[in-house]
Amino acid sequence: MLFGRKNKNPIKIADKGVVDWKYTTCGYCSTGCSIEVGINTEGEAVATRGVGGADVNRGKLCLKGIFEHELFRSDGRGETPLIRDKYYKPFAKTDWDTALDKVGDEIKRIQGQYGRDAFAIVSTGQIMTEEFYTLGKLARGVIGTNNYDGNTTLCMSSAVSGYKRSFGSDGPPGCYEDFEHTECLLAIGSNLPEQHPIIFWRLKQALEKRKFPVIVVDPRVTMFAQMADIHLPVTPGTDLALLNSLAHVILDEGLEDKNYIEQHTSGYEEFIKVIEQYDPLTASRICGIDEDTIRNVARTYAKAGAAMTIWTMGINQSTHGSDGVCGINNLNLITGNIGKPGGTSLSITGQCNAMGTREWSSCSGLPGYRTLENEKDREEIASFWGIDKEFFPKKRGLFQTDIFPAIETGQIKGLWVVATNPMTSMSNTARIRKTLEKLEFLVVQDAYADCETNEYAHVYLPAAVWAEKEGCFTNTERRVNLIRNVVKPHAESKPDLWIFNQMAKRFDQGKKVRFPESSSDVFEELRQLSKGRMLDYSGMTHEKIEKQRGIQWPCPDGEEKGAQRLYTDGQFAYPDKRAKLVPLPFVDNNERPDDEYPFWLNSGRVVEHFHTRTRTGKVGNLNKFSPTPYMEMNPDAAHELGIEHGGYARLTSRRGDAVVMVQLTHRVSPNMVFIPFHFHECVNRLTLGLLDPHSRQPAFKQCAVNIEPADDQENAAIRNRAARGY
Amino acid sequence: MFKVREDEPSYALLPDVKAPDVNQYGNKISLVDEKDPLANKPLNINGEENLANNPNRYKQHGFYFNADNCISCHACESACSEKNNLPPYLAYRSVGYVEGGSYPNYTRLNISMACNHCDNPVCLKGCPTRAYTKFAEYGAVLQDPDICFGCGYCTWVCPYNAPQLDTERGHVHKCNMCVDRLEAGLKPACASACLAGALDFGVVETTPENRDQLQTQIPGFPDTSITNPNIRFQQTKTLPRELTRPDSIPLKYERDEQGQGEFKPKVRKQKQQKQWNLSKLRSREDPLVIFTLITQAVIGVFLLITLAPLLGINAFTATTSPIGLPVMLWTLLGAETVALFLSTMHLGRPHRFYRAFNNLRYSPVSREVAGVAVFYNLLGLYTLLATFPGLLTLFGNASSTIITSTLAWTGSLAGFVALYFMHKIYRIPARPFWNHWQVLTSFYGNMLSLGGFILFVYAMLTGATDTVVSKFLSGIIFTGLAAEAIGLYFHQRAMNRQGGEGAASLYEQSTRYGKTWLLRITLLVIALAGSVILYTMGTESSVLTILGLTILGLTLLTGSLIGRALFYVLVIPTTMPGAFFWRNKGFVEHARQTGLAKMRQVGVLQHEH
Repeated sequence: MLFGRKNKNPIKIADKGVVDWKYTTCGYCSTGCSIEVGINTEGEAVATRGVGGADVNRGKLCLKGIFEHELFRSDGRGETPLIRDKYYKPFAKTDWDTALDKVGDEIKRIQGQYGRDAFAIVSTGQIMTEEFYTLGKLARGVIGTNNYDGNTTLCMSSAVSGYKRSFGSDGPPGCYEDFEHTECLLAIGSNLPEQHPIIFWRLKQALEKRKFPVIVVDPRVTMFAQMADIHLPVTPGTDLALLNSLAHVILDEGLEDKNYIEQHTSGYEEFIKVIEQYDPLTASRICGIDEDTIRNVARTYAKAGAAMTIWTMGINQSTHGSDGVCGINNLNLITGNIGKPGGTSLSITGQCNAMGTREWSSCSGLPGYRTLENEKDREEIASFWGIDKEFFPKKRGLFQTDIFPAIETGQIKGLWVVATNPMTSMSNTARIRKTLEKLEFLVVQDAYADCETNEYAHVYLPAAVWAEKEGCFTNTERRVNLIRNVVKPHAESKPDLWIFNQMAKRFDQGKKVRFPESSSDVFEELRQLSKGRMLDYSGMTHEKIEKQRGIQWPCPDGEEKGAQRLYTDGQFAYPDKRAKLVPLPFVDNNERPDDEYPFWLNSGRVVEHFHTRTRTGKVGNLNKFSPTPYMEMNPDAAHELGIEHGGYARLTSRRGDAVVMVQLTHRVSPNMVFIPFHFHECVNRLTLGLLDPHSRQPAFKQCAVNIEPADDQENAAIRNRAARGY
Repeated sequence: MFKVREDEPSYALLPDVKAPDVNQYGNKISLVDEKDPLANKPLNINGEENLANNPNRYKQHGFYFNADNCISCHACESACSEKNNLPPYLAYRSVGYVEGGSYPNYTRLNISMACNHCDNPVCLKGCPTRAYTKFAEYGAVLQDPDICFGCGYCTWVCPYNAPQLDTERGHVHKCNMCVDRLEAGLKPACASACLAGALDFGVVETTPENRDQLQTQIPGFPDTSITNPNIRFQQTKTLPRELTRPDSIPLKYERDEQGQGEFKPKVRKQKQQKQWNLSKLRSREDPLVIFTLITQAVIGVFLLITLAPLLGINAFTATTSPIGLPVMLWTLLGAETVALFLSTMHLGRPHRFYRAFNNLRYSPVSREVAGVAVFYNLLGLYTLLATFPGLLTLFGNASSTIITSTLAWTGSLAGFVALYFMHKIYRIPARPFWNHWQVLTSFYGNMLSLGGFILFVYAMLTGATDTVVSKFLSGIIFTGLAAEAIGLYFHQRAMNRQGGEGAASLYEQSTRYGKTWLLRITLLVIALAGSVILYTMGTESSVLTILGLTILGLTLLTGSLIGRALFYVLVIPTTMPGAFFWRNKGFVEHARQTGLAKMRQVGVLQHEH
């Protein structure tokens, strides 16, 4: 039936009136999707679309990218700098000069009074590489504090540490294209479809063309676990025992790549001594995976022509995060799966520019994967920046997770927080509040004035967000990609690069050091400093990056394209050019469930949100999919406690309590609950966050809680509503 | 027109695959041939007159959903909302899910659903304004918000929750199949955005590359015989025997081992106590509660005063009470005016009310409105003539009687027919709780009981109650109430037998509104008893009669009001499962109660009006 065609109105379909598309790279996760932002005749950003010819995302975007243009006009943005004497007094608006002078004066006062390291800087993985490099120059070369770190300690620190311990250097050796060559994929602690949907799509595309086994290790039955050929519902915090046991079976059954071990690794003798202790039976009693399955997985992995492992926070956010990464690297080294198509240890990074901060921010040392401990590196950078090499400390200072305890105990008196929100993101919220209260001076530099850390700030500096400025991000597969400036910064907010440059002018030493104003001029310094190094940028320019839709490093001067993989020749960064097989004895030091606190508490991301929701919590078309926090709980466990689907429960741990809405599902085991980490005053009121000894990354995902129904459901709902402003 | 980019990825391009002649329902896939007058015309999208050159332009297109692959990443929904510039509180496409099994043998089945551009678009047929068109181009069912007056009837009849009533903007809008993209040779935005190889699009009954199945069913999907939807599924992975929904609808799906292994909706019973929830009886349909009851009462009174003289009862004629009758008629007219006003204001765009008659051919709404309009006008005329009998003398005595009685009888007939179509409005296969003849007994029953009661009061006030009148009216009231009670009994039985959404509504009736329902039944029984007592009592004691009539009136009115309110709030449509927050009625209520909905980004409108 074709009905009523006569005299019809024209069909109306929304037309956003896009007159120009501008090239950028997504500012959420580290997948590094190329995005074009559509601009209408008024110059407003009204649409987004994936760049068809970009190798990473090939026209696709996840929902966060699809609505990324809405960021520019979202609620809660900072409009002017704000200032106050005490954190408990109201903020007053001020101008940039007053605010920057105040910050400069306070840094000088605190450093003069208590020593250079009494002022700390905690940065991020969210700003651009050029900005990271400039901040590093300011922190290391001008302000001169050794307590300077990034929030990457909460997300990728273990991967960095593990790569360094195994290969002698940071740097993910693989790429997304490896999915198209691999014959076995092992994913540990990665909920790829939810956390990195576009990388998942790349994997799915590879699987559509050619089927290969997918093995997922995760205590939760995620969608990834459901689509896997083998799902290993591992006991939280015991991945290392499993990894050791996989290596045990491989070596025991002679499935290893003897040639590769002999030619490219060191430390086999010590390694085998530890591995011998992890027979599948012993391991099965630790990690909860039966011995037959362990053997089956080990054989499948070892027999594959090329096999790769990917992981995310399930490994990194653990008391053995760094060891877990080394365990993965061990597995790939003994099977000869490093540096070949389809064979790799690929950490799936968290933030859009976590890689940029690792490479260039000087947080853990000096720019371009240089270290403070290396005299030559200190000399090189000191002379490049034009400062005295003795200005640099000879050893790295505190990590983010050690900076806060140092504030607590009074060694650190002042703090500068850049584009991160520790009030929500760090474990044990109550302790973080107490810590921030103690600061003599806190400056928060963020795009959002309502970012919760701002509650304790003395000065707030409104920063531009994402494509309100120009610069580069590096993604998970070492691809440097470009963000063109799309719209002007909101109100009086300023690009972080501008803020760092203006801050430098407040210091005598800063007036001597060159701080280029444009990000492409800063990029020129990166090219020079990286020439001939592992992370060689010298063959890149902003224009070339845009043209190729991102270039992977190393890309030496004169090369047209970047390199897809590292260590293809089996030559590693250690002086002996060999990778190290690290012996990894497993000690279970987690706070395990007991009679008093009988449930494991697990945390993680959901696809619609990013980090502490300062951005996604305000975009209705994202936030609506989980507008308020919730807890996944097993219905059998809930039934015994009288907890109902859609009702509220109260959780207690040795740190505090939290009230949260309950979603009953068999996705989680009867003794485990899961709460997304994005929400302020929720899961981190409970978490312990025991630190990894190598990476200082907190174990967000393993602690013990007790659960009871909230006795007054109505009050619980009110409390939940009042807990956060957005 | 939408443009294909230079670097457009191939997955976004419409494939040119050979399709069979007819679909699985036996309908033709080619909707018109090249010579048809409907062919070779521009679609006139946003006023552009280009003619697209798509070889499959006149074939029915549809979505293809591979449930094995969907990961609920929301990319399809978001791409749709981004393209169509949708506010957070509604969406043309939504992903819901069902889940089953126990840890770690747990399965979640995600389902992405939008408009299915059906062969038999019930939205189009139901729409009183003719805002819908099924196009020869792609078989797209498109809705024009500029025609729509926001009654929301299409949202009732659609089994898939495809049309979205935008209560903020006051009209419906829905999936437009991205016909602008199709004209350019591109798949719709949602299918192009899919990140898991789940959602696809093409000529219906064609299997995308690497896929095997062309199923018309999937667990949770409504009966396809209602609309012949143009969506095909693949679902090969073994599912648990029982699948539950994360939203608040008390339904689950069980595999029918005796049948073909298909999943059937079953009531999901929990240990729920009987509750009152009186405040939750209020809904967006409140004006309809008032409108239907008043209209039924007014028609009832008019019908009875027309009928009464046939039985030799002259208590309600102008001769008996030359002042009383006009007063009552004006009251009725006033009440009906209020009722019509309420029902008009209930529209999203009340100023377009006149479009209600646009679809007399198909829409029960148009027919009901027409019936009520005819009745209302005849009632008005009748009232005028009853008030000013002098007007009649202009026509002479003989014709004046004919005119009065013609008006009375045609008015009664119009009212009677209007109520029939009013009942037809609710006979919707997508709303099983309504789709039962009980609606008819209830509407006609209320017509008699409320009409009879009003006349009884009138008779008392005009002092016209004698035994005959009293017996006549209490008999009428009894008949109305008994019809309603019998209807309710058979309705319960039928709903329980048929299971699914209807039984789930019944379950809500006995739990969430359990006490309210008991009260409603008790009131009905008391009213029935009252009518019997009035019948037997006669008119010996006017005090007792007044007392009895008062009790009858209170129970009758409260009972009808509660009953009608329950009728609206209890219905559970056959729509797809929602998620835990999005498309979860329970969360929507919670967000409104707790004030979460005050934040626009929560995606729930604080007020629906």
